[in-house]
Amino acid sequence: MPSTETFREAPSLARVFVRAAVAGKKSGTTLPDTELVLAGHEVDRGRLMDYQRLCGFAVDDALPHTYPHLLGFPLQVELMGRSSFPLPLPGLVHVENTITVRRTITASDVIDVAVHAEHLRDHPRGRQVDLVTEASVEGEPVWSGRSTYLARGKGNPDAQRGAEAPSLPRGFPAAQWSLPGDLGRQYAAVSGDVNPIHLHALTARAMGFPRAIAHGMWTSARVLGALGRRASGPSTSHVWFRKPVLLPGRVDLLVDRSGPLLVAGLRSARTPEVEHLVLTLETA
Amino acid sequence: MTPASPRRAAVLGGNRIPFARQFGPYAKASNQDMFTAALEGLVARHGLAGERLGEVVGGAVIKHSRDFNLTREAVLGSSLAPQTTAYDVQQACGTGLENAILVSNKIKLGQIESGIAGGVDTSSDAPIMVSEKLRRKLLRLNRGRTTLDMAKGVLAIRPGDIGIETPANTEPRTGLSMGEHMAITAKKWGITREAQDQLAAASHQNLAAAYDRGFFDDLMTSYLGLAKDQNLRPDSSVEKLAALRPVFGKGENATMTAGNSTPLTDGASAVLLGSEEWAAEHHLPVQAWFVDGEVAAVDYVHGDEGLLMAPAYAVPRLLARNGLTLQDFDYYEIHEAFASTVLSTLKAWEDEEFCTERLGLEKPLGPIDRSRLNVNGSSLAAGHPFAATGGRIVATLAKMLHEKGPGSRGLISICAAGGQGVVAILEGA
Repeated sequence: MPSTETFREAPSLARVFVRAAVAGKKSGTTLPDTELVLAGHEVDRGRLMDYQRLCGFAVDDALPHTYPHLLGFPLQVELMGRSSFPLPLPGLVHVENTITVRRTITASDVIDVAVHAEHLRDHPRGRQVDLVTEASVEGEPVWSGRSTYLARGKGNPDAQRGAEAPSLPRGFPAAQWSLPGDLGRQYAAVSGDVNPIHLHALTARAMGFPRAIAHGMWTSARVLGALGRRASGPSTSHVWFRKPVLLPGRVDLLVDRSGPLLVAGLRSARTPEVEHLVLTLETA
Repeated sequence: MTPASPRRAAVLGGNRIPFARQFGPYAKASNQDMFTAALEGLVARHGLAGERLGEVVGGAVIKHSRDFNLTREAVLGSSLAPQTTAYDVQQACGTGLENAILVSNKIKLGQIESGIAGGVDTSSDAPIMVSEKLRRKLLRLNRGRTTLDMAKGVLAIRPGDIGIETPANTEPRTGLSMGEHMAITAKKWGITREAQDQLAAASHQNLAAAYDRGFFDDLMTSYLGLAKDQNLRPDSSVEKLAALRPVFGKGENATMTAGNSTPLTDGASAVLLGSEEWAAEHHLPVQAWFVDGEVAAVDYVHGDEGLLMAPAYAVPRLLARNGLTLQDFDYYEIHEAFASTVLSTLKAWEDEEFCTERLGLEKPLGPIDRSRLNVNGSSLAAGHPFAATGGRIVATLAKMLHEKGPGSRGLISICAAGGQGVVAILEGA
């Protein structure tokens, strides 16, 4: 029987990050059998509007495809930061994310969010785990997300990889975005994700990056925002994160709608070989 | 070759977001946000997602320069097919109704099969301009090529140049605010404080009753937590309004208060129009026919006529063209810029001297049955986001006429800044 811990308010990420940074080494092969729940969440319309603007979604009462991730993310980090979690939080890399929207969620819906970890597995470059987020409204499941994190380390070359990502669309960019140097701070203010790798060049350098990097979930949200309204209704997205987007920077958006699945990608505008993400979107 | 006789243009439905008071729930919403929301609600209600419409015509009176393609941007942010064309119109408070005239005319001529007419305005998210002196100096600085040019440019800026300006509700040629203009007209026509307060109270009571019977259920999409017009005071009464101090006009005889003048508001509206065939193909019942429209302008600059009196001139021309009298209508929708605007207009139509000398008629247009005026409330209660008012009225009247039945008739009259007035006739289907 998994145990359930219910939160009335999302845990503060700053505290979890600090605690995780000073925590000792972690080991183990089992995941905590705990489900963390944020119960009765009422959408903060001011925060929603800031998020919609920052990610290029329409500013209205429909929650963007990616918005519930924002509610589940603090619970994910809380769970991964605990000593019972076998992988160290610092250095975990968000490599894949899938989201299914079952119905359009509106700002007046009161949302329950539940997060648990599953599927700890070997990977050729370390170990991977999935953090599953389920959002429901009055008991009706309306949204689910699966965030896959990689802990780099001694990998298992024989380990199975997940679903193969489609290749990045080629050709001319559909759009080109200039991303400001403070984008990470802007997104941190809205999302609460104050991971220092996103905030400033100095803090990012301390963590081994040449400059601050954009939040992966901002980049995927921005791409979904650019794809229009189709994603706020019933839909499924799958994003594979590649190289981080260094800030400030310029990126190209590429979209291919010729196949059964819509495929979109982000690449560096200056160095097109540098791919940042590939995303598929399936709409009902 | 004789041109094909024009066909009819149908009003098929409308949608708006509730109107919010200035710096209220929509304080941070842009014109584009609000118009997209109104448009998307209309698209959703009528099943138009992915549809290529003939055109979408919108606009705003107060617009940021970055919003040059406001309506096209809203279309691209909606579920309409991106191949739907769009353009912006600006005719002050007449924008929304003018847009409905434009779309219906194209439908009548067979140039398009369907279209959306609407408008939006924000009084909260207003553009801020720098002082004219500073603007010119900054432009010069921007043209500078050398460091010396730049340095000279920067040095030319004086502390006194630094200032910001926000758009004001003032006529550029007279320096008078719209309320001050109206106060003069109200005095000329002898409009009493009591009559204005009565009209204002009726507007609130009528709008509240319309909400109570669910009239707006299929005309509105809630937005940013607002489900009803924020300005509405269902318990408004003549007694309460009588307690307010006058804000426009001067001295003992000042009659215009914040209660009988429309407040600054934020909001958006959109109306779906189409040919009879297009409506049938899309299984959309025709609410009303957009029969005809007329626009007039007056010379208010030299005090010859009141700023907001142009509809008084437009209506008789429209009536004459359609062979109708002022009494041939089941409903009158006279935009309540101020209660005194409506009352001055009605009084002018009853006035022998005005009708013969100014309008060139043989006799006065005569009185209207006041129980048919603004029966579901108007701008005093709902608020008046300038370009959004036309769409609000067309959608409301079309539904009222549809309920009344085929052959019923409605008259719309909207006054606008710049001494213009836009009027139209709708017929129930």
